[in-house]
Amino acid sequence: MTITKNQNGSHLDMALEGRLDTATAPQLEAELKQSMDGVTELALDFAGLEYLSSAGLRVLLSAQKVMNRQGSMVIKNVNETIMEIFEVTGFADILTIA
Amino acid sequence: MKKKNRRLAVVMVASIVAVIVILSVIVAVTGYQQFTHVLEQQYNDTAYEVAETALTYLNPDKLEGYLQSGRTDEEYDAILARLDELVVSSNCNFIYVAKIDETDYMTTTYIYDSVNPATGFSRYEFGYVSRDTDPKYVDDLKHILTTGGRAEKYLYSYTESGAHTTAGLAVQDSAGRVVAVIGVEKSMTVLYGARSTYVRWVASIAVTMVILTLLVYLLWLNRKVIRPIAEITGEAKRFANDGENPVTSLKATKNRYEIGVLASSILKMEAEIKRYIDNLTAVTAEKERIGAELDIATHIQSSMLPCIFPAFPERPEVDIYASMNPAKEVGGDFYDFFMVDDTHLAIVMADVSGKGVPAALFMVIGKTLIKDHTSPGRDLGEVFTEVNRLLCEGNGEELFITAFEGVLDLETGRFDFVNAGHEMPFIRRKGKYTPEKIRAGFVLAGLETTRYRAGSLQMEAGDAIFQYTDGVTEATNAENELYGMERLEAVLNQNADAAPDALLTAVKADIDAFVGDAPQFDDITMLCLEFKEMMR
Repeated sequence: MTITKNQNGSHLDMALEGRLDTATAPQLEAELKQSMDGVTELALDFAGLEYLSSAGLRVLLSAQKVMNRQGSMVIKNVNETIMEIFEVTGFADILTIA
Repeated sequence: MKKKNRRLAVVMVASIVAVIVILSVIVAVTGYQQFTHVLEQQYNDTAYEVAETALTYLNPDKLEGYLQSGRTDEEYDAILARLDELVVSSNCNFIYVAKIDETDYMTTTYIYDSVNPATGFSRYEFGYVSRDTDPKYVDDLKHILTTGGRAEKYLYSYTESGAHTTAGLAVQDSAGRVVAVIGVEKSMTVLYGARSTYVRWVASIAVTMVILTLLVYLLWLNRKVIRPIAEITGEAKRFANDGENPVTSLKATKNRYEIGVLASSILKMEAEIKRYIDNLTAVTAEKERIGAELDIATHIQSSMLPCIFPAFPERPEVDIYASMNPAKEVGGDFYDFFMVDDTHLAIVMADVSGKGVPAALFMVIGKTLIKDHTSPGRDLGEVFTEVNRLLCEGNGEELFITAFEGVLDLETGRFDFVNAGHEMPFIRRKGKYTPEKIRAGFVLAGLETTRYRAGSLQMEAGDAIFQYTDGVTEATNAENELYGMERLEAVLNQNADAAPDALLTAVKADIDAFVGDAPQFDDITMLCLEFKEMMR
């Protein structure tokens, strides 16, 4: 998985490409942990994301919980497959999907 | 083939002997040549002194006259007598005065010839002509005759009669013309003897030196090199074989040369290898212990899942079968089924996010909580709301569980269910499996405030429900394709009439065929409940 970061003050953009699964979720978790301090607006771009597993959902949930405290988190360009996963798991209700 | 180790000492001694022998030979040969050269020069100088003396006896002005007339006189006889005395007193072989033919320098006409009687030769009489001058003397004779000086090269000859040297001088008349040549030949009698004495001396000194040097060198070599190296080699060999009891001291460490450093390094290395081995042994033991405990954990986990089939042989209304194949030693998936009361059967299917021991521990908590809170008549939405609240307490790892629970009323066929972010179940109605689109709530242990609502559907006799985890639909083959809902639906309908255990076996076989050699990433868990008849 490739993660492209673009930070502008308290605004953080992250574009994910590839598969977010058991093998790659720790990578995203580490990236987020490293750069989320002081961020009030977090935007995740899922345009290049092919697959999302429960391990990935766990990282998203953690990020959502952190951002609930310090600002807002939005997920952009969610494709149909991943939207289905969000709906089946009930994540569609707790995430902000733009 | 085993390489035979040559002994270091032998090689070193042999090479030293070889070097000394070569050096001695070089010294002996150069000394021999130098010695010969000096002696030859000495003899030649003496011969020249005799020739100078003889020259003063002659009356050169009369020599040509003797040759032209072919007659000698009294003065000639007197001079010949004096030369005869000189050849004996100077211990020379010959003293001769001769006219050289200057056309070819090969023809010699003798005027005087004094021969030392000790040589055994007799003299050439006046006027004797010799035409067999050795060609190698020609240049020298020419030089003497044309310049009036000495021969440029020393004349030496080594014949069967011994080694001798010849001095050659020009005889000039009062007008300064060269009229003849005077030659003196002297034996180099001492040369042979002196030379062999010299060689013997050099040889014996060399041999003595070789032996002495070798003795001293061997003693030193043995003390400072061979013994320390043997000690180090022995120790290294011993340690390499048994790998135990590293030594703490070696005599060789006191060695002032590189061997001392080597010995210290061996000591250090042995200690470190020992420490490393001990450490590795401890780590391996620890790893084995963890492995054994993981085995036990796997066993405990699998024994927590109901695994005795048929599960309810006394109940003809239902047939149920379930299976779990963990991807790692301990998995995060679980299923459960139990009788809530005499007429209600509960089934649970769940998947903990994450893998391994943390997921397994969380699974145990989740499974226990769900079973404990499911009680007769209690709303399933309420059960999950409470379980979720309890799971959120102290969930530091931020794990979550997707879970599905359903309770079948065996008397009426009413099937109540609650879904916390889990996959849609497949329901078989009239012999056909279709995915049942049911509302999903948020995952368990995600957010403390989530409230769950139960749903309900009606099952008829002959209907069945198939529930599974995402390990089924997301099984991946080598081309990174997912197994997916379509393939699952197809295989379910191909085996629509099969009993639960046969159905699960068929689905697993189909997944295995699809995945091929690709590794299994996720636990694969399935459950099938067949409602055979209403309870009467």
